[in-house]
Amino acid sequence: MLEIEHLVTGYGGVPVLQDVSLTLAAGEIVGLLGANNAGKTTLINSLSGVYAPMSGRILFEGADVTALTPRERVELGIVQVPEGRLVFPDMSVRENLLLGGINRRARPGRARQMEHVLELFPRMKERLSQDAGTLSGGEQQMLAIGRALMAEARILMLDEPSLGLSPLFVQYIFGIIDKLHAEGLTILLVEQNLNLTLRHAQRCYVLERGRVAIEGPADAIKNDPRTRSAYLGL
Amino acid sequence: MAEFLQALTQGLLIGSTYGLLALGMGLVYGVSGVVNFAHGDFIALGMFMCLALYSALSLDPYVSIIITVPVMMGIGALVYRYLLRPMVGYKFLMIVQLTLGLSLVLQNGILMVFGGQPARTPSAVESKLWILGEVVMRVPHVIAFVVSFALAIGLYVMLRSTDFGRSIRAVHQNAHAASLMGIDVGRVQVLTFALGIGILAIAAALLLPGTPIQPTMGLRYTVITLLVVVLGGMTNFVGIMLGGLVIGISEAFGTIYLSDILGMLLPYGIFVLIMLFRPQGLTWGAAR
Repeated sequence: MLEIEHLVTGYGGVPVLQDVSLTLAAGEIVGLLGANNAGKTTLINSLSGVYAPMSGRILFEGADVTALTPRERVELGIVQVPEGRLVFPDMSVRENLLLGGINRRARPGRARQMEHVLELFPRMKERLSQDAGTLSGGEQQMLAIGRALMAEARILMLDEPSLGLSPLFVQYIFGIIDKLHAEGLTILLVEQNLNLTLRHAQRCYVLERGRVAIEGPADAIKNDPRTRSAYLGL
Repeated sequence: MAEFLQALTQGLLIGSTYGLLALGMGLVYGVSGVVNFAHGDFIALGMFMCLALYSALSLDPYVSIIITVPVMMGIGALVYRYLLRPMVGYKFLMIVQLTLGLSLVLQNGILMVFGGQPARTPSAVESKLWILGEVVMRVPHVIAFVVSFALAIGLYVMLRSTDFGRSIRAVHQNAHAASLMGIDVGRVQVLTFALGIGILAIAAALLLPGTPIQPTMGLRYTVITLLVVVLGGMTNFVGIMLGGLVIGISEAFGTIYLSDILGMLLPYGIFVLIMLFRPQGLTWGAAR
């Protein structure tokens, strides 16, 4: 469904990602692991079109999307839940969800999609008219995921969904991720939390200083001694 | 007492239009961080367009807005797209310099076309009065008040309950997150700037009846608008309208109760006082 070929991305002429290749099959849940500064967020933002790559290609369902704007990619269904959630703090939960579905493809079905999202997150239903800035961290993460689903995501990219959440909320959020996977959604899961990701992902890539250091099924990654060293930067 | 009521009414009427002027500037600042120092010169441009339309087609300024609003919005979109957008993200001072330069270009452009003599654009309602007890109101002021508040309410509703309005607020609150929703941030900024300039075209017609116009008059409106926007806390909707009323009322009290020059100073004095005690402006966190 998604293919990244030899992607090089950077800022100010300095490459952060160096020759990264990655594939994502339809319905798959793939983990992207790595220490801080390994380039995980840069990769996700490259897929969203925030940064133009220096070289390499991104294919979505066989079509080259490398030159598309962020808006065009959201319209295709390539949607991310950003690190730190980035909900719109001075807008209500309802307005945040409506904004999630503002793209041309999702807008006609917004009402139906909103029902689906509120079914998934009953707590959001109780807080529809509350400002997003007054929600707890876990609730904001629910809202951020709900907002991405409103865009009728076909590939959902989650950037550090466990960041700053209590263990209970982490469990809840990963339960939701499993549920979305079971519904057939294709998911790219970016995480620092190694064990958690290995439990939920089918395949994983481990990034180390902007390169893919290891890739393979979750079980193989778990037992690979290089995984720990990539994390510790040894 | 009659004098007091007279000053208060006059201040409220004119202050509502000041509030409207400032809303345009606040919206633009909110989505792109641009403070437009040519703001008042666009008002002057709108007024001279009304004059040209009166000379050529004997149109009343209130009718001219059918033409001036779309033309000014087009100019606004072009100015943002080709002059301001390349500067966004650089130092704030560069944008200040650029808009100050634009102000000089507009002033001298108007001077070249219309000459330097003060001119007037007549309107059918110009000298009509509306007398309510002891208070005498000029009809153009009443029209300005009603239209300004109607537009402010319209803008508020637009920001709250349309997709375009929510896009504007989303870009204001977090432009990066807005782009991840599929909102074209650059497009929202261009459209908001065009909207701000379109508002000025309406404000120009509202302020025009009875006002002698000259090419350099824009600076005064720029300064008043800046005062109001800062009083209102830059991006707070209710605060800005309130700021407009405060400046309008202090101007009216200044001219009625104090001698000419001293009276003109009153709004600035009150502005300094408010800023000393409430540097964050007249806001209390409502309605962004």
